[in-house]
Amino acid sequence: MTRAGRIGIAVGIATLVLAGRVSAHAGTLGSATDAPPLPGWLLVVTGGGVVGISFLFTTLVTDHDLLRSTVERGRTLSISSSLRHGVSVLGSALGMAALVGVVLIGFLGPRDATANLAVLGVWAGWWAGYTVSVYLVGNSWPVLNPWRALVGSVERVSDRTAGWRARTLPGDGVWPATIGLVALVFLEVVMPIAEQPRLLATIVVGYTVLTVAGAVRYRDWFARADPVTAVFRWYGRLAPFGPDGDGIGARLPGAGLVRGDPPSAWGVTFVVTLLWVTTFDGFVSTPAWAAVARPVLAAGIPRLVVYLVAMLVGLGLFRGAYRLACRGSRRNAGTYVTTTAIERWFVVALVPIAAGYHLAHFLGYAVSFGPPLVAGLGSPLAGASVPVAVLPDWFGALELLFVVVGHLVAIAVAHALAFELFTGRLQPIRSQYPFVLVMVGYTVTSMWIVSQPYVRPP
Amino acid sequence: MIETRVVEDEAAACPYCDRPLPSSRLRALHLGEEHAEAMTAADREAYEAARDAETDELFVFHLKVIGAIAFMYAVFVLAYMVALS
Repeated sequence: MTRAGRIGIAVGIATLVLAGRVSAHAGTLGSATDAPPLPGWLLVVTGGGVVGISFLFTTLVTDHDLLRSTVERGRTLSISSSLRHGVSVLGSALGMAALVGVVLIGFLGPRDATANLAVLGVWAGWWAGYTVSVYLVGNSWPVLNPWRALVGSVERVSDRTAGWRARTLPGDGVWPATIGLVALVFLEVVMPIAEQPRLLATIVVGYTVLTVAGAVRYRDWFARADPVTAVFRWYGRLAPFGPDGDGIGARLPGAGLVRGDPPSAWGVTFVVTLLWVTTFDGFVSTPAWAAVARPVLAAGIPRLVVYLVAMLVGLGLFRGAYRLACRGSRRNAGTYVTTTAIERWFVVALVPIAAGYHLAHFLGYAVSFGPPLVAGLGSPLAGASVPVAVLPDWFGALELLFVVVGHLVAIAVAHALAFELFTGRLQPIRSQYPFVLVMVGYTVTSMWIVSQPYVRPP
Repeated sequence: MIETRVVEDEAAACPYCDRPLPSSRLRALHLGEEHAEAMTAADREAYEAARDAETDELFVFHLKVIGAIAFMYAVFVLAYMVALS
């Protein structure tokens, strides 16, 4: 049997083995959850299997020209410069109003988090709902970004900033944004930001001071150091709408990821970090994490240290797994393209996975807290009184579906990228085996996390 | 420019873009895909031969893919039958 055949079968077997191993967890822990009509382990195995099988289906599409034209397909709508200007003024005003509103309501509104519009607005409205719009529709953050608008007004007031703005951040790439993203998610996990409106408002003020100071000093702050802008920039490339010359371009979802240039080495670490923090966010609220963390915390190790170590170890594992998959891809394809170049080339395929996971994790949040948020806008300081929407039972199954769909888009994106980078029709397919193995394992892991009952992180 | 690293001496480099390719077949395919206008008649012949050889190999590969899909489908049908019975 040829190598390809052996590996093809190995993928199939690995799907079942990996799934079987995880099912051991899901069987014991999943039984406590609001059980779907099917056994939890079977759903999770099916997810892994669907990802594996859809890879097999993509191998049937081997026409370079067809793939290229699919990626390039789209329309561009040009926008007049006056309309662009109007939208940008309106967007900054909206963003600024939201920022000021969050800070004021956070400090002055009700102390109860579920009644405070600042908390609802930031978590359900912005981080859950708005982020979904960024990868499902398009990245409107450059227009709305209140901090960019603030920096613009600081510059108009004082011309002293002109001299400072000549500086750029030291080093290369998005390393400051990577550190910033880790720091933000760390804060979110270890501090009760979502429960104490005053704390949330303080953090928003702190973030504002840091961002404005940084952006006034370094002209490449938003391009390299602001984690929020960087997250939305990556998610926006997945979206069906995006900037195209002087207008807005419509394209197939994910095509924007294949079209652009590969990121720098730090861009690779940033995307892997984005994937890891979305996973970590969900992982710390599983019973499994609680079972591990409680004894460690009881032994007297400080909470901050436990979470920081867990976060950095997990990040190291994810980064290492991606490096290994790329090394495997290099060996399997039989190519002289370096592992580093392969890492940079394929990393964009991780974005749909992160987005699918985000959707699974946060859509329910946005939907259930949407009614009180919208109803509360009429009387911002009094707070929300409308009850939270109750999600139907099938919503859990929908969440699992989002995880799988994210991986399917990733498979398609990676397939198109492989045919762009490698030669012929068999080399690109062979280059994908290690990625598919890792992806099937990751699908199973993240479906397991999503299907777990929520436990408050210890 | 895609970064490459050559591990063997007998690498066949592309005469048009200097990209090193690990085998003469990949070199022939690369020329046909990326430099179809510029390549010589001998290169074209090599490309067509390499493409034919790859098409044959791809056919066998696709048979295996279909086999694997059928196998996994059967496994899942069985798994669901067992789980739901």
